[in-house]
Amino acid sequence: MKIGEHREALVARVRVVSGVVGVLLAAICGAFWFVQVVKGSHYRELAENNRLRRMAVKAPRGTILDRNGRVLVENLPTYNLLLDRSRAAAVGTSLGFAAPILGRPLPELKALLERYRGVPTFQPVLLGERLALEQVARFRVEELAHPEFVVEVSHRRFYRLGLHAAHVLGYLGEARAEEVADPAAGLKAGDWVGRRGIERTYDPRLRGADGEQVVVVDSRGQPVEELGRQVGRPGENLTLTLDAELQQEAERQLEGKVGAIVALDPRNGEIRALVSAPAYDPNLFARRLAAEDWQKLLDDPSRPLQNRALQSTYPPGSIFKVVVAAAGLAEGVITVAEGVYCNGSKRFFKRPFHCWKAGGHGFMNLESALKNSCDIYFYELGQKLGVERIARYARLFDLGTVTGIDLDGERAGLVPDPEWSQRARRRAWYPGETISVAIGQGALLTTPLQMATVIAAFANGGRIVTPHLVAGAAVPSRPLAVPASALEPIRRGLWKVVNDLGTGASARVAGLEIAGKTGTAQVVAHAAYEDSSTRPWAERNHAWFASYAPFSDPTLVIVVFIEHGGQGSRAAAPVAKALYEKFLGPDLGPAAAS
Amino acid sequence: MRSSSGQISAPLPLPDERPRLAHLGGVRWGLLAAALALTLLGLATVRSATAETGDDFLQRQLVWVGIGLVAMVVAFSFNYQTLLSFSLPLYLASLAALALVLVLGYEAGGAQGWFRVGSVGIQPSEFAKLVTALYLTRYLAAPSGRELPTRQILAAMAIVAVPMLLIVLEPDLGGAAMFVPMAAGMLLVAGVKPRVLLLSVLAGLIVGLLVWNVGMQTYQRQRVLTFLAPDTDPLGAGYQVRQSKIAVGSGEVTGKGYGQGTQSQLRFLPARHTDFILAVLAEEWGFLGVALVLALYATYLWNVAAVAMRARDRAGILLVVGLGSVVAFHVLYNSAMVIGLVPVTGIPLPFLSYGGSFTLINYVSLGLILGVDFRRFVNR
Repeated sequence: MKIGEHREALVARVRVVSGVVGVLLAAICGAFWFVQVVKGSHYRELAENNRLRRMAVKAPRGTILDRNGRVLVENLPTYNLLLDRSRAAAVGTSLGFAAPILGRPLPELKALLERYRGVPTFQPVLLGERLALEQVARFRVEELAHPEFVVEVSHRRFYRLGLHAAHVLGYLGEARAEEVADPAAGLKAGDWVGRRGIERTYDPRLRGADGEQVVVVDSRGQPVEELGRQVGRPGENLTLTLDAELQQEAERQLEGKVGAIVALDPRNGEIRALVSAPAYDPNLFARRLAAEDWQKLLDDPSRPLQNRALQSTYPPGSIFKVVVAAAGLAEGVITVAEGVYCNGSKRFFKRPFHCWKAGGHGFMNLESALKNSCDIYFYELGQKLGVERIARYARLFDLGTVTGIDLDGERAGLVPDPEWSQRARRRAWYPGETISVAIGQGALLTTPLQMATVIAAFANGGRIVTPHLVAGAAVPSRPLAVPASALEPIRRGLWKVVNDLGTGASARVAGLEIAGKTGTAQVVAHAAYEDSSTRPWAERNHAWFASYAPFSDPTLVIVVFIEHGGQGSRAAAPVAKALYEKFLGPDLGPAAAS
Repeated sequence: MRSSSGQISAPLPLPDERPRLAHLGGVRWGLLAAALALTLLGLATVRSATAETGDDFLQRQLVWVGIGLVAMVVAFSFNYQTLLSFSLPLYLASLAALALVLVLGYEAGGAQGWFRVGSVGIQPSEFAKLVTALYLTRYLAAPSGRELPTRQILAAMAIVAVPMLLIVLEPDLGGAAMFVPMAAGMLLVAGVKPRVLLLSVLAGLIVGLLVWNVGMQTYQRQRVLTFLAPDTDPLGAGYQVRQSKIAVGSGEVTGKGYGQGTQSQLRFLPARHTDFILAVLAEEWGFLGVALVLALYATYLWNVAAVAMRARDRAGILLVVGLGSVVAFHVLYNSAMVIGLVPVTGIPLPFLSYGGSFTLINYVSLGLILGVDFRRFVNR
């Protein structure tokens, strides 16, 4: 036997080695028991996470309509081009393929891709927006050769009116990282959020709730089958109080000008038109790659993004005389019959104050002083009232606070008084300032929207309305703490302004009784009677016209404000006239007013 | 085997060295049955793992199993002593093949280790392993003392080192590593002084360091690093280990059902029909399936040990130990790998994994073991 005398030793060692193998096998079996039985449910969950993708089914954003059901904002299907860099053989080649189809130079696409450097490669990035169908087709045809390109169908916001009502409707922006991180915001990456205007105020209602789709995907993230679908809640459609036709006509009237128009229903505060000029095209914001356009808007010196009707404040000029007059009557400082003689100039506190009319108006009572916008009458009244009482009545008319309109960024303006002077300017109130405030100058600042609610209080017989754009958002009007007897004479004066050869005669419409008040607010100090139209644009006066009609049963308030437009009677009143003619004119019949 | 020890001295009439039908009672049926059961499980799992590829992996594997069974019978019919006498030329020929593949072979999985014959890939390293086992058996079969002299151990190591080095150059680290357990098993059983054992462990560490710094490619180092911290890079190199663990764990006790494994069917698992076939099986058959597979391997190895312990001569013992060590190491390493206990490397499961050369070699090795057992009473 070749095996020799050491066979037993060999067999013993075989036994040892196989014993070791046996122990190791048992250990492996135990390890599998641990992974599969002890930790099994953990790994089952991981496997489910692997294969299941929860994909948001975007809820369509609500459309926005005007009061007559005209669509102002809607959603349009759009095709976006996404690039999945992890599936590209060479990103350079992919861009070379896409550039001619997109019609964009290669370096531009490369620069665009550079922006996505920090994004993980398997996360598709946006390369092109709003592809035409033939462009989509060309990417689809080459799908096998270029699987890295994904054409995504989504919805983009379309503002049908373009520039029209831009400031009211606002625009959307992509959710920012900090908003996505905030669970209370309920936003996902890639979601669009209202940034301005109605889109912002009513964002939760317009947005709705996204649904969810559970899909089985393979290792490359390709969907294999759908497991379930949770239906979302589509965004609510919003009907505005806005009248698209009035809005468009008002915008046309402001073409080439800088200013604002507010038209509202004095009975309930419903906004019929709200214009700020110049405007911008909100469709620019419906794209994600429009950084340059955005910068251009920001840099525009005429600040088109600003809603001048409520985000800018101006001295109201002579329109403020209605407030001072109401204060005088309510406080018993003046009567309707009492008069003042205007010879064009008068000294107050050792300083001459001029009337806008050189040579003066002669004898003026309340109604004629309103009709002619006589400054001397109101200088006297202001002196009698004192600044505290003027400020108190201004605040009764809600000046110095926001009106509460359902739009963002509204400014409160400023009602000055000695207390404010000490606090903000750290100096005493000059008595002469009271004289300026009495005719709506000085430190007094208001928005065109505020002036609309002031004039509406005269139109509706003494109620402060809260302007609003969505019917359901109506806040009940509040009674004005000024007796109706103090308002009536002023109403008569306002009638005369337009219909009795007053300063607003240029707004007169045959067959329609309009009441109103002109205003010409000085921007730089100069004699009141001086014509500012020869000065540089930025030094010219602001033109105001605040009005309502029909006189006996007012249904419409129109405030026209033209920045550096010159005289209110020449620049602002004719604009209001054009709008009244079109929308309340006698040939339209009474039905057009409601 | 205590019961069979009595048979060692019992004479058995086997005048001829060729097996005959009448002597089939001498075949170790348990060994063959375990191998066939594993093969069937393997075919079923290969089918499930490759169903969605639309490729004909199952048919090809069936052909290789057929060829393997024939090769097994052929290997069985050879007297291993005769085979051992030809082992030196075979050994040299395999070294030549390994050298040739470095020049003429084509690359797969990062290593240039394949000859291409038509559409069939042949891996010479698999054959080299078998032939090296034969030649090493012959070298160590010469009678010696209780323990091997150091000189003989060094010579044995050199015999193993040459083909290993050629395979490392491909570079196929996993394939080369397979020689270590084979040689270690044979040397341990042949008899190694504890002092020498300690020294060789030290030498192994030094060689390991050298291999890490000089012999390894970047992707191989990455694999080892990934093994150490698999979750740090979920879509990178740790992906395989992570996906494999998820597949195994999510199978839980009874599995997701045949053909229902989400990890495998949705292609999250890498190398589903080859290196990670156990993960597919674990996902679809659960812990019960894994336990069955491990039990079958235990049966197989237990039978191999039994064959070794009652073999006729020193050569028979060593040859069976060498061949059995390779299977044992494959099973232990691969199963530890799919649950992330050891770094990922290309070490498939015998009889279960898809693979032509590998299947063929496993059956040849089985045939040789059966042959050693069959000839345990033959006197030459």
